[in-house]
Amino acid sequence: MFKKLLILLIPFFSLGQNYYAYVASESEDTVSLIKFDGKEAVEAERIDVGFMFAEIEGPHGITVDPSGDFWYISLAHGNPFGTLVKYSTETNQAVARTTLGLFPASMEISAITGFLYCVNFNLHGSMKPSNVSVVDPETMTEITKITTGSMPHGSRLSPDGLFQYSVAMMSGELFEIDALDLKVSRVLNLEKKMMNDKKMDGKMMNHDNMKGKMMSNDKKENMMKSMGDMKHSMVKPTWVIPHPKESIAYVAGNGSDEVIEVNLDKWEVSDRFKTGKGPYNLEITPNGKLLIGTIKSEGKTAIWNLENKEELAIIKNTTSVSHGIAISSDSKYAFISVEGIGGEPGIVDVIDLDSYELVSSVKVGKQAGGIAFWKKEI
Amino acid sequence: MKKLILIIIAIFSLQLNHSQNLSIESNLDGLILNIGDTFQAESYISDLDGNKTTCERLIYYQKDGAFNVGTAIDPTGVFVASDPGIFEIVAVCVGMEGGKRLSQTFLVGVKFPKASSIDFNINGELYVGNFAEVNSVAKYADGKEKSDLNFKYESSDPAIIKVDDLGNLKAIKKGSSVISASFDGQTVSKKINVLNNPVVSIDLSSDSEGFIKTGDVINLSAQLKDKKGNILSGIEPKFSFSGVSTNKSTTASGLISDKGKFVADIAGEYVINASFGNTNSSIQVKAVNRDIQKEIVKLGLGEVFDRRTSDAWFFEGTDGKDYGVSGTWGSDGTAYFWDVSDPTDIKKIDSIQVDARIVNDVKVSKDGKLCVISREASSKRKNGIILIDVTDPSNAEIISEYTTNLTGGVHNIFIYENHVYALNAFANPAKYYVINIEDPKNPKEVGFFEVDEPGSAIHDVWIEDGIAYSSNWKQGVYLVDVGNGIAGGSPSNPVEIGNYRYDSGGNHAAFPFKSKSTGKFYVIMGDEIFPEGVDGNTFNETAGYLHFIDFTDLKNPVEVARYEVPGHGSHNYWVEDDVLYIGMYTAGVRVVDISGELMGDLYKQGREIAKYGTGHPDGYVPNSTMLWGAQYFKGNIFYSDFYTGIGALKLLDKKKDNSNTNQFASDQTLKEALGAEDLLDFFQILASPPIE
Repeated sequence: MFKKLLILLIPFFSLGQNYYAYVASESEDTVSLIKFDGKEAVEAERIDVGFMFAEIEGPHGITVDPSGDFWYISLAHGNPFGTLVKYSTETNQAVARTTLGLFPASMEISAITGFLYCVNFNLHGSMKPSNVSVVDPETMTEITKITTGSMPHGSRLSPDGLFQYSVAMMSGELFEIDALDLKVSRVLNLEKKMMNDKKMDGKMMNHDNMKGKMMSNDKKENMMKSMGDMKHSMVKPTWVIPHPKESIAYVAGNGSDEVIEVNLDKWEVSDRFKTGKGPYNLEITPNGKLLIGTIKSEGKTAIWNLENKEELAIIKNTTSVSHGIAISSDSKYAFISVEGIGGEPGIVDVIDLDSYELVSSVKVGKQAGGIAFWKKEI
Repeated sequence: MKKLILIIIAIFSLQLNHSQNLSIESNLDGLILNIGDTFQAESYISDLDGNKTTCERLIYYQKDGAFNVGTAIDPTGVFVASDPGIFEIVAVCVGMEGGKRLSQTFLVGVKFPKASSIDFNINGELYVGNFAEVNSVAKYADGKEKSDLNFKYESSDPAIIKVDDLGNLKAIKKGSSVISASFDGQTVSKKINVLNNPVVSIDLSSDSEGFIKTGDVINLSAQLKDKKGNILSGIEPKFSFSGVSTNKSTTASGLISDKGKFVADIAGEYVINASFGNTNSSIQVKAVNRDIQKEIVKLGLGEVFDRRTSDAWFFEGTDGKDYGVSGTWGSDGTAYFWDVSDPTDIKKIDSIQVDARIVNDVKVSKDGKLCVISREASSKRKNGIILIDVTDPSNAEIISEYTTNLTGGVHNIFIYENHVYALNAFANPAKYYVINIEDPKNPKEVGFFEVDEPGSAIHDVWIEDGIAYSSNWKQGVYLVDVGNGIAGGSPSNPVEIGNYRYDSGGNHAAFPFKSKSTGKFYVIMGDEIFPEGVDGNTFNETAGYLHFIDFTDLKNPVEVARYEVPGHGSHNYWVEDDVLYIGMYTAGVRVVDISGELMGDLYKQGREIAKYGTGHPDGYVPNSTMLWGAQYFKGNIFYSDFYTGIGALKLLDKKKDNSNTNQFASDQTLKEALGAEDLLDFFQILASPPIE
């Protein structure tokens, strides 16, 4: 009887599972909804984002809220500030928006506070401390901006939603923000000891050319003061991801070609291991076993076993400039956004995390970047 | 087992229902404060039965106005009422069981403080029959002022001066009256004397003879005379007009200024009036249609159908022939070079490709040797500008690239006297940099200009006669001396000399010109607005218009006229010999007469000479006009269209032929579409019985 019942149920078990992810195309002002059925990834829908016709607004960071009802996109460019736009996953229509800071980038929503924490990357602006915008997505109100370091990037919440982590690319620091108090609780210098000892030569800085040329005396004085305080990171951290179960976080050292392990209890660097050239984004599978990293400058994706930090695979992506990572909720697949170059389309590669193989690719808009997993459907 | 499952489901549902019926209650509810009050918010969670529990972590914030910039209130829930008005304060309870959160918005009112005093401006003397307006302002202890209030006005002797609720006065007869304004228990008063109207007659005349054309500005002269015939000085008449259109389907329309200028928009008979008190005088003016429409024809097209086209620039090459360069948008960083010597046979002669998805702006130096293009969305995120040798445009060669301080993407550039002015819109404040290119292999930055307001933006820059005109969105246009000398400025020391901004905040481009016919100096400021957002793959609604600012007095610019095509918005434009050539997005190329003095609605006045739609059936978006910009060059009108490439038009020196109105444009249409040889055949076909 039981056997007969099992046989009857087999068709249901062999029904496909569909995975969905959203990916932003920064040079196309579009977001694509990707559907992967376990074999093939397709672009299910392409959504126009942005409000200015002849200006590229640069959709950069993207996230889906914990309920799965809405997705959020940061538009990096503006007059001059960027924008956060909220979309319904049901209709993929915009429902609300709010203004953030300069070049808003990566973001995530805390399951505890429900607030969205978005770094204002300020990629092309002056090298001075930027901030993290805290937004209540219910009212789409920017509640506050919390000052962090120079060029903050990567925004990830601790598994309990109580702390937000970001790194400052130019000042080489890891910032922890208390998600409830809305204040910076800890800062960690990520430079190696010998990097700290190296004095920066002011002549290396581009804006040094401006010295004494056309500024008022007041401006000159302020510039000299800020140059004295500025530090240019050798690590150039670009991402941070907390472990889903352990009190550890991993940082991508884009300038030092390494992954930095941080012990969050002791608040110190506990390990560093080398990667290929230019690690950019990192994610950890929900089961806590694997670390996935995009190696931007090589156009590859690396997979490490987190138990022993062994590099399990290094996979060549379909085109160059590997960017973002989204991992399916069942830890089975990694969706990698790959920017491409010039006029070629962006790509989303799908990597099977059991076989460590690239199993499918799909074209999207130019300069595919921010990517977020939405759901798995049976 | 079944029963157990059902019980579990019921409990779960109860819990769900229970959590769904929770709300936050707070002492913020219905709260009214005075300015300066400190308040401690206290909130708790309440269920339907009125049971209260505390929330472990409450966060308060204030929603603040149209831009949704909130302010996190102190974690203790203490805040100070610092501004009057009604505010939304949101209380958020986080960290609830199951990771849920609860939020509630409360409206909190802060009373306006009492005014500490009132003031108004009003003349101490009026003449019988004259009107005047009282403008009152309430002043507060914190230094703020407010004028949009319901002041109460009174006249101590309404038989001398009448005053209405809005502060409008009318002087009735000779005498004096005290006019008072009151608000919030404060009062201000002033005695006004009403004098007999000394003006017995007004000699009104205009500087036009015979009829005028719509759009012509006439100057009125009104001499106010006493009973002895002496001309009175120190008093000014009020001008007004009425009119009847010559077209019974429309109404007369025009504009008259308090300085005695009049312009008619619509052909008709107008009566212009000058009055002082109860003395007035009129003249009649007949306005006829400006009637300046001319034929415009297409000469040639430089097709770019497989990608979108951005800006274009047309120039004389070092060999004396005519060339063009155009950029591409949302593509692979290609810029094209064209031979346009024969505008009926435009030829693509070369192209270059750079690491970018957008080549937004293209410019060529006056000597025709050097081309500079701007980059956006490069793969390496280092955009900047590219310098190209176009001594031989059929063999364009990249000389150098420059990205310092311009990594974020350069939207617009301008070349002027061995310097490139390049925008950095990502800085805060946004700015343009001045780059010396005397040695194009080694460009070097020598200066920059920024609007000294945090959050200011920039979109374009244009230089003429050593003055840079930057378009700064909400901050409007800035005039900066970069070598003119009027304020001692230079490329390395830009000095601001003027600014004008307007309410829409959409200032996208600026073009200065000195009117050849009047000598007045104007800056045309254009908007760029997309009311419904954008879709780069289809028709888009555009809006905004051109504002004409009289900058003859640099310190006191005055907005005097506008050009707006209903339902369409502006983009880039060019002025030559008092004719304006506009890239009017969905409205195509528009050619506009801007000769003479400018005042009012230039479109309504019939100043449009010609128009041309540039869509093409094979365009990137078929049959869709999206005109980026127009340039008058050696007698022809060249343009770039987002969906079709570049093209050339010719304005003919003959009246527009309207004989095709409501006609089939060609016999081919009749034959192919309708199977008719001609119109008569067509009507016979229509009249035939249907085939059974």
